[in-house]
Amino acid sequence: MSSPRVSRTDAAESSGRRIAVIGVRGFVGGALLRRLEDDRGPERLVALDLKKPLAPLDRSQFYRVDVTLPSADGDLADILAREEIDTVVHAAFLGNPTHRTAWAHELEDVGTMHILAACARARVAKVVLASTTLVYGAAPGHPNLLVEDRELSSDPRVPFVATKVAAERQVRKFRAAHPEICVTTLRLAALLGPKADSLAARFLSRPVAPVLLGFDPLLQVVHEEDAIDALLLALTGDHPGEFNIVADGVLPYTTLLALLGRLPLPLPRAVAYPLVNALHALQLVSSPSAMLDWLRYLCVADGTKAREVLGFEPRYDLRATLADFLGLPVGGAEYAVGEGRA
Amino acid sequence: MARAGKRDGSASPAKPRPRKPRAKRTSAQQERDAAPTDVTTDLAPDVTTDLAPDTVPPDDALDELYYGEEAMPAPGDYGAALDRHEERPSDRRSLPSELRELERRVRARLTPAFPIEARRRLALEPLWRGWREFAMRGRSEEVDEFGKDSLAAARLEPVLDFLHDRYFRIEVEGLEHLPDTGPAILVANHGGALPWDGALLMHAIRRESRTQREVRPLVEDFVFHAPFVGKLLTKLGAVRACPENAERLLAQEQVVAVFPEGAHGIGKLFRDRYRLQRFGRGGFVKLALRANAPLVPVAILGSDEMHPMLSAGGPIARALGLPYLPITPTFPLLGLLGLVPLPVKWKIRLGAPIDVTARADDNAASGTDEGLLIGQVAEEVRSAVQELLDDLVAARRSVFLG
Repeated sequence: MSSPRVSRTDAAESSGRRIAVIGVRGFVGGALLRRLEDDRGPERLVALDLKKPLAPLDRSQFYRVDVTLPSADGDLADILAREEIDTVVHAAFLGNPTHRTAWAHELEDVGTMHILAACARARVAKVVLASTTLVYGAAPGHPNLLVEDRELSSDPRVPFVATKVAAERQVRKFRAAHPEICVTTLRLAALLGPKADSLAARFLSRPVAPVLLGFDPLLQVVHEEDAIDALLLALTGDHPGEFNIVADGVLPYTTLLALLGRLPLPLPRAVAYPLVNALHALQLVSSPSAMLDWLRYLCVADGTKAREVLGFEPRYDLRATLADFLGLPVGGAEYAVGEGRA
Repeated sequence: MARAGKRDGSASPAKPRPRKPRAKRTSAQQERDAAPTDVTTDLAPDVTTDLAPDTVPPDDALDELYYGEEAMPAPGDYGAALDRHEERPSDRRSLPSELRELERRVRARLTPAFPIEARRRLALEPLWRGWREFAMRGRSEEVDEFGKDSLAAARLEPVLDFLHDRYFRIEVEGLEHLPDTGPAILVANHGGALPWDGALLMHAIRRESRTQREVRPLVEDFVFHAPFVGKLLTKLGAVRACPENAERLLAQEQVVAVFPEGAHGIGKLFRDRYRLQRFGRGGFVKLALRANAPLVPVAILGSDEMHPMLSAGGPIARALGLPYLPITPTFPLLGLLGLVPLPVKWKIRLGAPIDVTARADDNAASGTDEGLLIGQVAEEVRSAVQELLDDLVAARRSVFLG
C-alpha cells in the first residue's frame, strides 16, 4: 500500500525520535507505548505485535507482525526502513510461562534473531531489550547481589527462562558485531504494581502461596512505573550494555507474603517438587518444578550500575511497591503493620 | 505479544491469520463491511506479514476513519484475542475529541490483568488485616541487603544472652586487637558439629567490644543452604561465604568472620579437637589484600567439646548428601534432645592483627609471586590461631569450669 504518509500536526516532537515497539500486547511493551504516546516526545511511534495492544492506540501506527515466521526479518526490516525507525524496543517476551514451549522458543529465541537481523538491515541506531533478572537463574552459588557481568543461567529445565537467556546471548553477540548500534539490555526484576501482569503479580495475587519448608530466600521487585521509566531512560540516552532494574530493598519471601497478607503453604522439598511436576504435567500449573528454585536460592540483582550509568532512580522502594500493589496508599498509615514496624 | 500464548489456545499463533481488507474505508464502506456478505473478500491466508498499516494515523481529518476502523475488525480477525477490554461501541464518531481522549485515558487505566479489588482483600478486610499483623510478628519490614533482620535478631537476643552468660559463660580476651572502625577479617577455628561458634562469636563481640562492632560471619554453603539453619543465621546477620559478598561487606567497612577450615573443621572428630584442619586455598588472604583489611586471628575454646563427635557418619552421611553426620554420645540416641550441647566453658581470644598490605608491598619490592605470599600469610594466620588455641587449652584446668 503506497498511500502517502499523513503529516502530523499535533507533534510536540521534542526528542524527535522514531521509535518502534515490538511486543505491544504484553504488559511492558503496552505500558511503554502508552507512556510514549502520552509523552508526545517521539516524532513517530510504530507498534508491532501479533495482536493489538490492550489499550486503544492513539497516535501509534500498528503493524501486525509475526516474528516467528521465516520471512519476519525481511518484513520487519521493510517496515523499519519504510517508517524510518531509528530506535527499536524489543519487548516481545512472554510475561508468564506457557506449556507451548516450542512456540515460546520460536517467539523469544528465533523471534529475537529475526528482530536483530531486521535492526541490522534497517540500520537503526538503537536497540533496547526488555529482559528480566530471571536470566541469572536461582542457584546455590549466587552471591547476595548479582552484578550485570554475572554468567547467565544455563539451566534447560525452565524453558521460560532458557529462551530469554538464549535471546540475551544473541543480543550480546549482536552488540559485539555491530558496535555502531547502541544496544541496551534492561533486566527488570519481578514486576509488581496495580496494573502489571507478570509472573510475580499473578503469583502474589493468589490468597495462598507455596513455601519450601525451611527456606526463605531474599526477593526483590520493581514497580511497573519504574520499569517503564528505566526503559524511557534507555531510549533517551546512549548507554550500551546491560542494566539491572530493581527497586531498593530486599525482603525474605515469607515476610513479603506476610506483608501482602497471603497465607503461606509450607511444603517439604520432597513433596513440593514432585507435586509441582505432576501439576505441570497435567497442565494445571504453568511453571515447571525447577522454578521452585526461586523460592529456595538467591536471585537478587544489584541495581548500582543502572543508578550510576543510566541515572535510574526508582520512585518506589520495595515497601512502596507492595503497598501500591495492594492498592493501599503508598507510605500511608493504612499500610503499616503495628508491631512489625522497623 | 507476551500474552498471546495464554489467550488463543486453539489457534497457533505462528499460523498467519486472514488479513483485514487493506483498503482504507470510508464510513459508508464500513457499514457495508459489516454485512456478512462482504467479508470473504480477503480471507485467504497470507503468508507475508501485512506491510500495510492497520490503522491510519489519527490526523484530525482522519480521526473518524481511524476509530471506525478500530471498531470494525474483519470477522475472524481478532476473534480469539477479543476480551472484554477490547469491546468498544462501534459508533463513536459523534464523540468530541476531548471526550474521546478522556475515554482513551480511562480505558488505559481500566486494563489491569487482575482487578485491584481482587488482589488486595482476598479475605474479609478485618480478617486479612488481622492475619497480616499476626504474620508480621517478630519480623521487620526492612532487612539489610544480606537479609539481617534487626527485629528478629533482637528477639533472639535473650536466648543468645542466656547462652553467653549462663550456659557457656563466654569470656572474651584481646578485644584491643579489633579495630574500633573500618574493615577487618576475623579468622577463627571452626568446630562443634553445629554452627554455634559463628552465632556466638558475633554475639560476644557485639556485646563486649567498645564500639559494639557487628561481626558478619561468612557461612559455608552446606550450612547456608541447610533448611531452617540458613534462614535463621541469615536473619541474625550471617552471610553466604563467597568473595563477592565478603568484598561488599568489607567495602562497607564491616567486620567479617571467616572459618577457613570449613566443613573439615566443623565436622571433625572429638579426638581431633583443637587441631586446625587445612585452611582452604587462602581466599581470606586474597580478600584482605583486595580490601586492605587486617587479619585478626581468633581462637574459640569450647566449641569442639560441646558435641563430642565420635563418628562422622560415613556412608549414611553420604547417602543423605551431608558432609558429615554428627554421631555423639547423645545423638542420634536421644533424638533431637541429643542435639543439646554440653555446657562447656567457652573462651574467645583475639590475637595481634596481621597487616597484609605491608607484606604485599615488601613482596612487590622483592618481586616474589603473589600466590606464594598468599600461601605464606595463610599459614602464618593458621599457626597464630593454633598457638592461641594451644595457650588456651594449656591454661585451663577443667573443660566445664574453665
